[in-house]
Amino acid sequence: MFKKILFATSATEASDHAARVAFNMAGTLGATLNIFHVLGVPTRGFSQVVLDVKTKEEVAVDGEYISWVEEEIKNYYANQLANCANCSIKASVGVPHREILRQAREIEPDLIVLGGTTGSEEDSVYKASTGSTLQRVAKASPCPILAVNRPAASFWGGLSNIVFGTDFSKASDKAFEFAFKMATSLNGELHIFHALDITPKNMGMSMPQDEIDHKIREAYKMIRSKYISKMKDFKNYSMNVWEGIPYVEIVKYTREKQADLIIMAHNSRKLDADGPKIGSNMEQVIMRANCPVISVNR
Amino acid sequence: MPEGIFCNKKPIETQEELTALLGDTSGTQYYKEMKELDIDTKLLWTTIQNTCKSRIRTWLEICAHCGMCADSCFLYLVNDRDPKQVPAYKIQSTLGEIVKRKGNVDNEFMRMAMETAWAKCTCCNRCGIYCPHGIDVGIMFGYLRGLLYQQGFVPWELKIGAGMHRVYRAQMDVSEEEFVETFQWMVEENEEEYPGLTVPVDVENADIMYTVNAREVKHYPEDLAEAAILFHAAGENWTITSKGWEQTSLAMFAGDWAACKMQVENVYAAMERLKPKRMVGTECGHAHRATVVEGPYWAGRQDGRPPVECIHYIEWLAEALREGKLKIDPERRIKVPVTLQDSCNYVRNHGLREVAREILSYIVEPGYYREMSPNREHNFCCGGGGGFNGIGLFRPQRNKGLITKRDQILATGAELVIAPCHNCWDAIRDLEEEFEIGIKWSFLKPLVVSMLELPDHMKPEE
Amino acid sequence: MYEFITGFMFWLALGVCLIGMAVRTILYFKGLRWNLDRVAYRAYPARGFKGAIRSIYKWILPFGTHGWRKQPFMAVLFFSFHIGAVFVPLFLLAHNLFLKEKLGFSLITINGGVADFLSWLVIITLILIILRRLALPEVRILTNWYDYLIILISAAPFITGLLARYEVGNYSFWLLAHIISGEILLFAIPFTKLSHIFLFFASRAQLGMDYGIKRGGLRGTVMDW
Ligand code: SF4
Ligand code: SF4
Ligand code: SF4
Repeated sequence: MFKKILFATSATEASDHAARVAFNMAGTLGATLNIFHVLGVPTRGFSQVVLDVKTKEEVAVDGEYISWVEEEIKNYYANQLANCANCSIKASVGVPHREILRQAREIEPDLIVLGGTTGSEEDSVYKASTGSTLQRVAKASPCPILAVNRPAASFWGGLSNIVFGTDFSKASDKAFEFAFKMATSLNGELHIFHALDITPKNMGMSMPQDEIDHKIREAYKMIRSKYISKMKDFKNYSMNVWEGIPYVEIVKYTREKQADLIIMAHNSRKLDADGPKIGSNMEQVIMRANCPVISVNR
Repeated sequence: MPEGIFCNKKPIETQEELTALLGDTSGTQYYKEMKELDIDTKLLWTTIQNTCKSRIRTWLEICAHCGMCADSCFLYLVNDRDPKQVPAYKIQSTLGEIVKRKGNVDNEFMRMAMETAWAKCTCCNRCGIYCPHGIDVGIMFGYLRGLLYQQGFVPWELKIGAGMHRVYRAQMDVSEEEFVETFQWMVEENEEEYPGLTVPVDVENADIMYTVNAREVKHYPEDLAEAAILFHAAGENWTITSKGWEQTSLAMFAGDWAACKMQVENVYAAMERLKPKRMVGTECGHAHRATVVEGPYWAGRQDGRPPVECIHYIEWLAEALREGKLKIDPERRIKVPVTLQDSCNYVRNHGLREVAREILSYIVEPGYYREMSPNREHNFCCGGGGGFNGIGLFRPQRNKGLITKRDQILATGAELVIAPCHNCWDAIRDLEEEFEIGIKWSFLKPLVVSMLELPDHMKPEE
Repeated sequence: MYEFITGFMFWLALGVCLIGMAVRTILYFKGLRWNLDRVAYRAYPARGFKGAIRSIYKWILPFGTHGWRKQPFMAVLFFSFHIGAVFVPLFLLAHNLFLKEKLGFSLITINGGVADFLSWLVIITLILIILRRLALPEVRILTNWYDYLIILISAAPFITGLLARYEVGNYSFWLLAHIISGEILLFAIPFTKLSHIFLFFASRAQLGMDYGIKRGGLRGTVMDW
């Protein structure tokens, strides 16, 4: 299912949990792993100088410097690399989301695992473009992306217990195809979940319970017609519709199901000008979930 | 030791030389060698005799030493009114001396002149409009840079920059293939959202040939996507060119006139090959200056005009909005205090002073626009012009130079600064990094894309 | 002596000044290169001319430009001095009587009171200009002995003229000194910075053409000097 994984990392603690997942996954699935690091953001106008994202120092980048950074990464992941048969390392320079996407275009991975960023994305070097690196990669990525935010989320057992969260959008259909494929090929469980958004901003002041019940029934119907009907003789599934704040509900649901992976669609076309501060539903889930989250957009 | 390995009088001609020079991190060795570099005084003096004609000679001679230009120079103002920053002093003590001494100057003098030409003047030409005699010190510094470049006294980054143009015909190592590839990639990335989005390559007789700044290709390809989206939404018959797509010229900042000529002729050749009705260049100030304003002269065109009509991106955008080719959703207009950075390179130096304001009248909610003071052709340089932004050696001086713009912006109370110029954009970005005054900055393209009202057939299916 | 000074020397001085400046002005314009200056002077003569005239006109108008308005003190000094320095030598009655006698024609004249006032104005503004040179660091750094020499050469005819006018001490001595200093001034004009009397217009015209053609003029933007 995943033959080639692109792991975009800061090569610091901020990416440690993502690294755990990435190496684990590559190991268990026998995939090749391309460890990719954007070492600096261009600064100083037209010159070749970049701001090293780790040290916050300006460095002049040349081939030598890049190899040195690659060596550093090798040392940083020395333990994991010892057990990784098909791992390669690449460092590059540029605006992070763009370089990750560029690398993805080049090697055509089946999955991108996104590590955390060092420091705050509030830094003006990142402000140049709207939205967080995660949002930007998620928006344009040619393949699904996996993100892990909480360290706890990375101590993960397997890939067999999947929660698929849907909002019935077109992108969600894609996410479903992906989730279903994953569940069947890995012989796992699939929990289909929809959260009815009853936050006042979405539904007017407050919804009468009758209406909520009605909507829940409709959602079940949707799940049946949209997804269950396509699952043929796959039996290892469940479905649920809860009401509440979507990202909270899906996190609660995942905990209850003791799932080890959430799959959902990345819907928001518009990037958040305020970046990670508010963030999309998906980012909220990533921030709170106890397991890795895969976002699918096409 | 006269000629160094890196620091010498020979321009960069090949990729190997370029890589080697780039390998000299921060130009450490380069600047060391510069201290030993000999001056070819004979060559210097013959060059002056051949190229320093009545305009500059008269300027040097009749300068009344009145000091009226002092206050016009932002570098004088931010450096605590240091008399050594008075434009007239800066040029008299450098170019003036060289001419007076008939080229007999020493190494130390040349290094001083280099620092003055690149760290004490951005060639913003503001002083020229405040001098009663009409003495444009910025022009003279441009000339001086040419002399210094000839003698090998040029900041490391600019020797590289000029070399890039000589080797790649672009300011960065971006090849023709990479350019087209990147543009296509950007279109692919956005075609779902904008059905029908394409990037026509090398189409003859199009209405518009679009040229860019290599940095967009290298680091900010979103800019290419946005350009494609806007042309598409406006229903333009446009094309890019696989050769001659780079509009900028670091060679101009470096004073490498031969490279300027090569670079601009490459773009003109594309115009002659594709015969577009017009060329539209991206949101860049010095690119416009290089290709549209100065370029014709480097290319030896006596009418002072490029082969086809060339307009700046803001001219196209204003026209598209005016004629209703692009429609703005009034709900999404800018509703925060916003100001505009007038770029010297096409406002003071090409008279495009009202165009950006017209655009803002369409995209800013009435009541939110704040003028900087001074503005239009009297605006101050952003602080990073003329190559200043990119020179590591003069970084501290550059950072100080940003103070004028910082204070101008603060005085407007704006939260967003619109800078339709790569250099100004960079400087304002750096200014935020340096002083953290809590502003945002943007080109026009992303703003307009975000508030576009698309015709139905262009909306994504949902 | 007097004969020689007012005769041969006068002719010589006047001739050197006028011919010298004519030559310099012609050389100036001949030395303008469209390709080196990067201004297509020849291609757009009408626009260039318009730009040149505007650039001169705006700057000889008191407070006509941003530059003058920005520095009102300097503007007042500048215009007071130059009005005096141009009007008195050209339109003083005595000068015109002399001219009539020598050349057979004269220009309009100003009355004695005005001439006195303007002469004093020249002296006073020159003193202020010197003080400004000494006081302001940004001007001090530009100043050298040559600037003072120029001031001296321009001031001398006025000082001696006033001394003669008020007959302080020996009238004919001061008159002679006045004529000699005036002739020195005439001689100096083409060869020193004083050439700006003509080249000011040339240089302003050049930048005016630059803006009138290249820097926006062709697009129809009228430079806001
Ligand atoms: S304002 Fe003009 S004349 Fe006066 S010092 Fe400056 S350059 Fe010279
Ligand atoms: S061109 Fe600009 S930076 Fe240079 S001396 Fe004049 S005002 Fe100062
Ligand atoms: S960067 Fe912008 S403001 Fe600065 S000199 Fe260039 S055009 Fe002017």
